[in-house]
Amino acid sequence: MNRREFLSASASVAASSAVSSAPPRGRADACIFLWLGGGMGQIDTFDPKAGGLNKGTPKKAGSLYDSIPTAVNGVRFCEHLARSARLADRMTAVRTVNHKVIDEHAFATNLVHTGRVTSGNVVYPSIGSVVAHERGAASADVPPYILIGYPNVSRGPGFLGSRAGYVYLTETTSGPAGFSRPADVSEQRAAERRRLLEATGTRAAPGSSVAEYESAQAEAARLAGPDFLKHFDLKTETADLRESYGGEFGQRCLLARRLVEAGVRFVEVSHNLNFLNGTGWDVHNEGINNQHLLIRELDTALAALIRDLETRKRLDRTLVVVGTEFGRPPEFDGGGGRGHQGTAFSLLLAGGGLKHRGAHGVTDDLGKTIVKDPVSLPDFHATIHASLGIDPRKELFDGPRPVPITDGGTPVAALMS
Amino acid sequence: MAFCCLVFLLPSVARAQNDATSIEKPVAQWRFEEPGEPGVTNERRKFLEAGPRLPTYPAFTASNQSMSFAGDRPAITIREADLPQARLRFTLNDSITIEAWVKVADLSNGSYAYLIGKGRNQRPGFPEKNQNYALRLKGENDEARISFLFASEPGGGKAADWHRWTSSTGFNTAGWHHVAIVYTFGKPESIHGYIDGASVKGTWDMGGATPRAPVADADDLTLGSGNGGGAGNTFRGWLDHVTLWRSALPDDVLRNRYQFIPPPPVVKRSDLPKGDVLVQLCESGLPNRNAWPDPPPPATEQYREPCFGFFEVPHKYVDTGVRGDRPNPYLLRAAATVPIPAGRHRILLRGRGAARLYFDNKLLLTTPFPPTDSSGHGSVRTVESYLNLGPDFRFAPPGNRESWTTFESNGGESLVVLETIVGNHLGNGRRRPELGETVVAISIAGQESWRLLAPGSRVVPYTDAGWAAYESERREHSNRVNAASRAAKRNEHATYWTRRRVEADRWLATTADERVPPLPAGAPAFNPIDHFLAAKREQHRQQAAAPAGAIDFHRQVQPLLEAKCLACHAGEQAKGGLQLNSRATAIVGGKNDGPAVVPGKPAASALLARVKSTDEDVMPPKGGKLTANEIRLLEMWIQEGAHWPELNANHTTFTPLADDLTFVRRVTLDTVGVVPTPEEIRAFLSDASPEKRSKLIDRLLSDPRWADHWMGYWLDVLAENPNIINPTLNNTGPFRWWLYESFRDNKPMDLFVTELMRMRGSVRFGGPAGFGVASQNDVPMAMKGTVISSAFLGVEMKCARCHDAPAHVSTQRDLFQLAALLEAKPVTLPATSTVALGAVQEGGRKPLIRVTLKPGSNVTGKWPFTRFVAEELGSKLAEEPGDPRDVLAALITAPQNERFAQVMANRVWKRLMGRGIVEPVDDWERGRPSHPEMLRWLGREFVRGGYDLKRLTRVILTSHAYQRAADPQLKETPVLFTAPARRRLAAEQIVDSLFQAAGKPFVVEEASLDIDGVRELGSSITLGQPRRSWMLTSTSNERDRPSLSLPRTQMVTDVLQAFGWRASRQDPLTVREAEANVLQPAILQNGPVGLWVTRLSDDHGITSAALSAGSVDSLLDDVFLRTLTRRPTDAERRTYREYLQPGFADRVRPAPSKPPVKRQPEPYVSWSNHLHPEANAIMIERGERARRGDPPTERLDPDWRSRLEDVLWAVLNSSEFVFRP
Repeated sequence: MNRREFLSASASVAASSAVSSAPPRGRADACIFLWLGGGMGQIDTFDPKAGGLNKGTPKKAGSLYDSIPTAVNGVRFCEHLARSARLADRMTAVRTVNHKVIDEHAFATNLVHTGRVTSGNVVYPSIGSVVAHERGAASADVPPYILIGYPNVSRGPGFLGSRAGYVYLTETTSGPAGFSRPADVSEQRAAERRRLLEATGTRAAPGSSVAEYESAQAEAARLAGPDFLKHFDLKTETADLRESYGGEFGQRCLLARRLVEAGVRFVEVSHNLNFLNGTGWDVHNEGINNQHLLIRELDTALAALIRDLETRKRLDRTLVVVGTEFGRPPEFDGGGGRGHQGTAFSLLLAGGGLKHRGAHGVTDDLGKTIVKDPVSLPDFHATIHASLGIDPRKELFDGPRPVPITDGGTPVAALMS
Repeated sequence: MAFCCLVFLLPSVARAQNDATSIEKPVAQWRFEEPGEPGVTNERRKFLEAGPRLPTYPAFTASNQSMSFAGDRPAITIREADLPQARLRFTLNDSITIEAWVKVADLSNGSYAYLIGKGRNQRPGFPEKNQNYALRLKGENDEARISFLFASEPGGGKAADWHRWTSSTGFNTAGWHHVAIVYTFGKPESIHGYIDGASVKGTWDMGGATPRAPVADADDLTLGSGNGGGAGNTFRGWLDHVTLWRSALPDDVLRNRYQFIPPPPVVKRSDLPKGDVLVQLCESGLPNRNAWPDPPPPATEQYREPCFGFFEVPHKYVDTGVRGDRPNPYLLRAAATVPIPAGRHRILLRGRGAARLYFDNKLLLTTPFPPTDSSGHGSVRTVESYLNLGPDFRFAPPGNRESWTTFESNGGESLVVLETIVGNHLGNGRRRPELGETVVAISIAGQESWRLLAPGSRVVPYTDAGWAAYESERREHSNRVNAASRAAKRNEHATYWTRRRVEADRWLATTADERVPPLPAGAPAFNPIDHFLAAKREQHRQQAAAPAGAIDFHRQVQPLLEAKCLACHAGEQAKGGLQLNSRATAIVGGKNDGPAVVPGKPAASALLARVKSTDEDVMPPKGGKLTANEIRLLEMWIQEGAHWPELNANHTTFTPLADDLTFVRRVTLDTVGVVPTPEEIRAFLSDASPEKRSKLIDRLLSDPRWADHWMGYWLDVLAENPNIINPTLNNTGPFRWWLYESFRDNKPMDLFVTELMRMRGSVRFGGPAGFGVASQNDVPMAMKGTVISSAFLGVEMKCARCHDAPAHVSTQRDLFQLAALLEAKPVTLPATSTVALGAVQEGGRKPLIRVTLKPGSNVTGKWPFTRFVAEELGSKLAEEPGDPRDVLAALITAPQNERFAQVMANRVWKRLMGRGIVEPVDDWERGRPSHPEMLRWLGREFVRGGYDLKRLTRVILTSHAYQRAADPQLKETPVLFTAPARRRLAAEQIVDSLFQAAGKPFVVEEASLDIDGVRELGSSITLGQPRRSWMLTSTSNERDRPSLSLPRTQMVTDVLQAFGWRASRQDPLTVREAEANVLQPAILQNGPVGLWVTRLSDDHGITSAALSAGSVDSLLDDVFLRTLTRRPTDAERRTYREYLQPGFADRVRPAPSKPPVKRQPEPYVSWSNHLHPEANAIMIERGERARRGDPPTERLDPDWRSRLEDVLWAVLNSSEFVFRP
């Protein structure tokens, strides 16, 4: 744990040292952050190793599935990632992400979202909120940050305040909370309501807090209209395209693409469909039996998203990230599933104008320890920020306290063009 | 129906029969009395515990011992060589009898626990099937059955095979039992089983009956486990008199083995109050495992209840009346003599913990101990699996077990005794001690309905509605009981606190009072506050009349100083000793450059030299130089004489008194947190007394909702941060309940602070000890130090956690000294709480922050705030001078420490007046008091009033200043407090007022993800059924699982959060974000909560108002009064009347005759079954249902109703609703 949040002098350090140290700035203008809650096992997905045995005695540590070659020479993925493997040259599995938290999902989730350990003195913003805060929405008609998943503090704005927070929806059909009107309120009825609201009370004095609230009201009424909600209507896409994305998770990814096109800067998409295997990515014991279904669902959606973005000439400007709170060890538990492993695991970056290489960083024969090119969470965050043209060393302010965007992170040089 | 077999025997007969003197000598016997028994090592003898004893088990002595067995201690292994004389092997035609006394602690259904077995130890060198013989207990239907097992010897072309016989009935696992098995190998019909002296039937249920010989080899004999061990094979409980015979003991011998004399009832009829249930809580004498205590434990506390229906017991209070914990588990015993009419009636028992019910000393019903599984892999219960005993039968709530039977009464009174074990063991941990719904109910012969069993005339239908009403009534009752016990505990410390009051009075008497200034002519005044304010305004007017230049300091210069200079050049810690936060200090200047400002002489002013510098010493050192215009501005300002008015007063006119309606809305919101009801408004308006405002204030101050309104504030300030699932991210215990009770009791604030700092009582169930927790924090007490210093002393120490900060006085050492006091021992600074300055220093400039404390330093506790009060005072004043926390609390709350009383007064002032006398209220180093004399006066008033928050509040509420009309032009309250600015309500006020104004019940889920209580208490809590929004918390769905969602709660917290409420409170916060953002109106206009309060459902308050309204006008009056505390204006009335008049006359529809709904239990989802696929589907559906809202009433014409909904929507969404008037 390290709390160098206030490195107030770091800017002057940068200024006084060589100009070349200015961080690289990428060209991406949006980010789709896929969240695999529970802890995606790198050894069964993007960092495959020799095969293991998870049932019977004795068990043998190793990958549960065969690996296959990818579009990048020498880089292999698990067999259930066949579609993504063909697109491996548009992505990089960062195989050497690491942290020290393994016991608690919420703690590690917070760490991967904020890039920092909780201190009790500062509530750190999520990466989505930092991006929203730094770059705002690309269009005035949409919010900068949308979450498709359940609200929680790790996804929140922390000290940046609610302007950097998300608008969320829990499923593609539920509509964004606060902006989809109840079913029995037609456009006409909404207009009547606005008329009545206009007629209530006296108009606020300009400059007063009431006036500010009333202008937010007008803005809310505008956003809740069809112009905003049309982005959530997936039926306007062709049936072929929708099907290519797969099930609910894929539909979320498709929605994310639409939102990004509409000007949303950061979309977090949670893959929480634990019905496929009971426990989602948290594959302890029997939860692992159907893990391949989850992997295939991810594969279908991820590949469709990358292809779709590419077709629409947005891939270079849209950074796709696959995040998860930790990886899983090569060994198996009593039920043939896997525990948690934070010391080495894979997160994925795709598109966003980065110099992709299929994979970055090397772990040992069992994916337990890092052999080459470790990437800390601050570095990983810095890479995302750099891709989005945000200076990872910039200071934000928690009241009077300066807090750099990342905790001393440096973008992964090999990925920066 | 599980009647226990009770056999009554005379003790004298019994004793002889248990002596093994008859027939022959056994092959082996373990009595667990004398040392030296085979296999029973001295190590093993450490696990001897009480066995069956006189007088209940007359075959044994009063000091008899037994051996306890559990998974975490070794079984007893006997090698053949240990008993060289005995022949332990049995083979064809040998007869065998195995008997044992047994008491079960825990037996899982489906498991076979070995009592004794020879062979099958999975030792190398022995075949897998080498069981010579074994006696086991099988768990089935929550009872223990007996099971005999052997393996047949291979031969005659046949492989070895298993042969298992299991009884088809078993025994209830409470108490001691005698079990026996008799068999002659080769004669399958010879098998006989005995439980408690009764022969039991059984079947060969594996491998079948066989004439074959058993495997007989040199493998060991094992007591308490077998088959290599493991949970499924290992016995958990106690054994005594385990005996192995090489003969078939005669039937009559075995039938007479079990001797049991039921213990005399622990409650006697004569002890019982007539017409009441006597409830006894027994806190000692329970076994350290899930087992019934034996002997029955004595009562440590008792009280009366009207019925056999329990959901909570009175809280335990410790110390000065803070919530503590009862031992876990404890036993609740409820007894009464109940008149029961003649006939055969149905009786129902429900309990969360194990329960047993006796009628006239006979065990009638039991429920088992909770299952040991705490994983999330349980099933969602099917509708069919619920017990359903009648048309309005109440289905079992989550986490309850139940059983029922019939009972034949001859009429007359029965002695009814219910016992239940509250809390239970789960591995090495415990589960939450909750009663769930512990109930005995009766359905009288010939009736379908059920009611709670009651000794008196009270009839409580045991239906959903009947139980809800009873529970709410009893909750009220227990609130009163709890308040009384808190008061009693506090009273135990009355001597000390009286002394504190005396000392405070002495201090007041020996120090000068603040003089209340005379009132300037024409100024309005109700009390001294108004004198101070008017005098200050007068002083300001005179100052402002003095000649000033063209530059407006507060508008033009001050912002520049704040942005560029004050981060370093303010306060005692200012860089270079230069303080630029007052004219005087700026003129004095710093130690490097001399005067920063020389009025009239820009060229001599160091301030200008520095900002103009082109060298490395330019100011500010980082973050961009001043522009040429800015420099010119400073130049002009200094040239003009550096005019620096004390206050930035842009509003100097007192507004008149607010009208009555405004006042009643404002004061009600400010004291009880919700808008006033129409009844409250009318009562106030119709009061003709000139004292009506004071009377209203007094009534509101004594309203119990006062406590509700303070909660959100203190939860923020003290960073209360519980998590309903696994503690993480700086979580604390839910000390909210202690907070709430403190405000209910209007606890003096010095006592409040003392209790908080002592951190005693319950950690997990609401005591101030929960404040002491900071999960995943490397120095929790340093974190608490920052909370305490900002909350009670206005000293901000957050930065000092890792370094000395440029803008604050406190050093890291100060904070760690404070932490060490709280820790009551020296604290070592971890490397994770520091800053590596190496990198920072590279730039060449001295870093702004400093690290003066090295990681690894050991810091001893010391009072770091000697500037407020001398350390020596602490031990003189503290109740427990040896306790550093107590001393610290005394130092903070001592009257001599004027800072504390003033900080508290300033907090209350800010909350009511919208602006602190000092800003920010939690960081006094960044501002100076606008009215120092009044602040001091208020602080002394607070001390004089015995640190009574209500008294202090009353002083402010009764001032003219508080009661003035708002100036609608203002954005914030002016520094002279001439008029309030309208300011947005707090999140909790908005949500609670929405529900109250609409008259719509506030319905959310229980604040828990473990509603059936299966998890260990360290990993899950419940925050109960919320009735006000402060009771909500984060839904904590980091796992992103629909099955772990709380949809309605989430929908309410979405609103709260948009308005600045925090679902998680990792750090302390005094002032929430108040800025408007688009989510706020959006979530109210379109979100589900907005829909709930505007959809006119049957249970909506406006629905009934609409049904009974005489005219559109009277309905509008009512709606406006409920929502906006006023009548509609003429213009509003015209618009709305036009909208609602059409169809008004025909709006009412006849009540629809609803087809009877098929009543069925609603399946519940909790942690225990959240991984079941159906759990997701259920919760997703529940979310959709919540989003749809309740259906509209059919009593109103749909078209007219929807127009009234539109009106309600407009009024509730108006900015007026969410702003304090």
